[in-house]
Amino acid sequence: MSIVTAPADVALPRRALPRTRPWYLDVWVQMVRRKPLGTMGGAIVVVMLAAAVGAEWISPYGFSQTSLLERFIVMNTSHWLGTDQLGRDVLTRLMYGARISLYVGFGAVGLGSMLATVIGILSAYFGGRTDMLVQRGVDAWMAFPPLLLLMSIMSLVGPSVWNITIVLGVAFGIQNSRVVRGVALGIKENTYIESARAMGSGHLAIAARHILPNVMPTIIVVATTGLSTVILTEASLSFLGLGVPPPYPTWGGMLSLAGLDHMYQAPWLAIWPAVALSLAVFGFNMLGDGLRDLLDPRLKGG
Amino acid sequence: MKPYVLRRLALAVPTLFLVSVLVFALMRMMPGDVATRMVEGHAYAPTLAALRHDLGLDRPVHVQYLDWIGGIVLRGDFGRSYWTRQPILEEFVRRFPVTLELALLTILVSVVIGIAVGIMAAVRQDTAADYIGRVLSILALSIPYFGLAVVVVVLPSIYFKWTPVYTYVGFTVDPLENLKIMLVPSLVFGVTRAGPIMRIMRSALLDVLRQDYIRTAWSKGLSERAIVLRHALKNAMIPVISLVGLQMPLYIGGSVIIESIFRLPGVGLFFFEALGKLDYPVVQSVNLIIAAMVVGLNLAIDLSYAFLDPRIRYR
Repeated sequence: MSIVTAPADVALPRRALPRTRPWYLDVWVQMVRRKPLGTMGGAIVVVMLAAAVGAEWISPYGFSQTSLLERFIVMNTSHWLGTDQLGRDVLTRLMYGARISLYVGFGAVGLGSMLATVIGILSAYFGGRTDMLVQRGVDAWMAFPPLLLLMSIMSLVGPSVWNITIVLGVAFGIQNSRVVRGVALGIKENTYIESARAMGSGHLAIAARHILPNVMPTIIVVATTGLSTVILTEASLSFLGLGVPPPYPTWGGMLSLAGLDHMYQAPWLAIWPAVALSLAVFGFNMLGDGLRDLLDPRLKGG
Repeated sequence: MKPYVLRRLALAVPTLFLVSVLVFALMRMMPGDVATRMVEGHAYAPTLAALRHDLGLDRPVHVQYLDWIGGIVLRGDFGRSYWTRQPILEEFVRRFPVTLELALLTILVSVVIGIAVGIMAAVRQDTAADYIGRVLSILALSIPYFGLAVVVVVLPSIYFKWTPVYTYVGFTVDPLENLKIMLVPSLVFGVTRAGPIMRIMRSALLDVLRQDYIRTAWSKGLSERAIVLRHALKNAMIPVISLVGLQMPLYIGGSVIIESIFRLPGVGLFFFEALGKLDYPVVQSVNLIIAAMVVGLNLAIDLSYAFLDPRIRYR
């Protein structure tokens, strides 16, 4: 008996074993096993999330709590990353700033991904004149340097968290609709789409039930790699005073030129927000890269 | 080649038309009324109505649009600034060299660093040099250029008593002084942009080095230097060039921030100040001119492929 089973065990190819985990859980297991940098990025993102969500409980200070006796402290046991010109705790402000970055980042990317999916699939599925019209519109949008257009729109609608989330979301959606369209164009040619149509499925049902699931991995990749860009853009707009208005702290706003005079006295006011922003971008980039390697259908099996 | 160029140019027309409609519509939706501000704070005219008539703001919107776009197409007249009443094109032309120089030096810095490190990483794949290069590129990618710029402005002035030069001197006036001014901004901007170039250079070169004609070159007994630099590099440059081209809008957008930090009197600063003053014609026209440049640049990049890789032909 044992002679029979042993070769059978050896002969079983590892790849052929049925995956028991659904893909969205399996991705994380694969990430920890195979992608050390991606895991590191994920860890940074988790820490950032925790700081943003728990800012009230973690920090004993308020984000705009001033204390004129404690101005320009470099760092001590009660102010780990020092204080600014008004005696506000820098670490606390960074934690609340993370909240804005994540809020705008996830909000804009979520909104933008939905928009990109709808525009991309519609444009690809209907093709012809619809596709032509939509794509010329996207062309026009893409002809602008992104920052100039976003600055124009932000000064138009006025700085606020809502406005910047929506504006960045729409921009993200239009830009990435092209990627979704490209993938959807390929899927549309499959025979199962044809057979669905032959069975009398409506346009909406085909788009939602047959095209959407196949576009999903692409959308996830676009969204995760786009997060760091959106966070950076929010910071640049806040840096220019067109993002989230003070007194609510943002990383871009903390770096802005308005505080330059104080920074000469207290360089840590420039360094910590820059470090926080770099870390966040690094974290999201690495996490996005890892997810792309594991999810992108073009890279699979390679 | 010629029909291809003509077809691309014909496609650019509807794109630019849509761009012009888009910026024009955006500017008309601005909530703050520029006329109110000009009368109240700065007494540009006795009454609001008089000023609005003066600026042509009392005409129907489509007439205003046709006037603006007609002036550009027929007479090359991009309108005048509301506040200074100076022709926009003149101001743009005066300031453009600053932004162009910044962009070119930035590209130079990022391309030199990116290509050098990229070649090293590709030729010595999976060695220490490769890993160091890749880690550096990830770091460079993560540092926001405006954060680095602020730190570079602040730290040396505290510890070395060194500050960037803030009085701008044109290149034609004093080339050496001008380069001294541009050095720090373009280094800061260029370093943070070198990451993606290095990554794409590495993967493109790895791709090319595995092709048949490279094997032929090896078997001919050519030196590694000749194979990499003379045979492989040129073909591996295509993705690098298209990346630089794709990033061009980013360089222009970033110039707004870099110019405001280092106080360079370029187009970016012009745009930013006009935006703050609700100077519609300036914002509209600068957006349109730059969008036209981006469209033209994309065409130029597509055409450059044929030069770099003789196998590519346009019909």
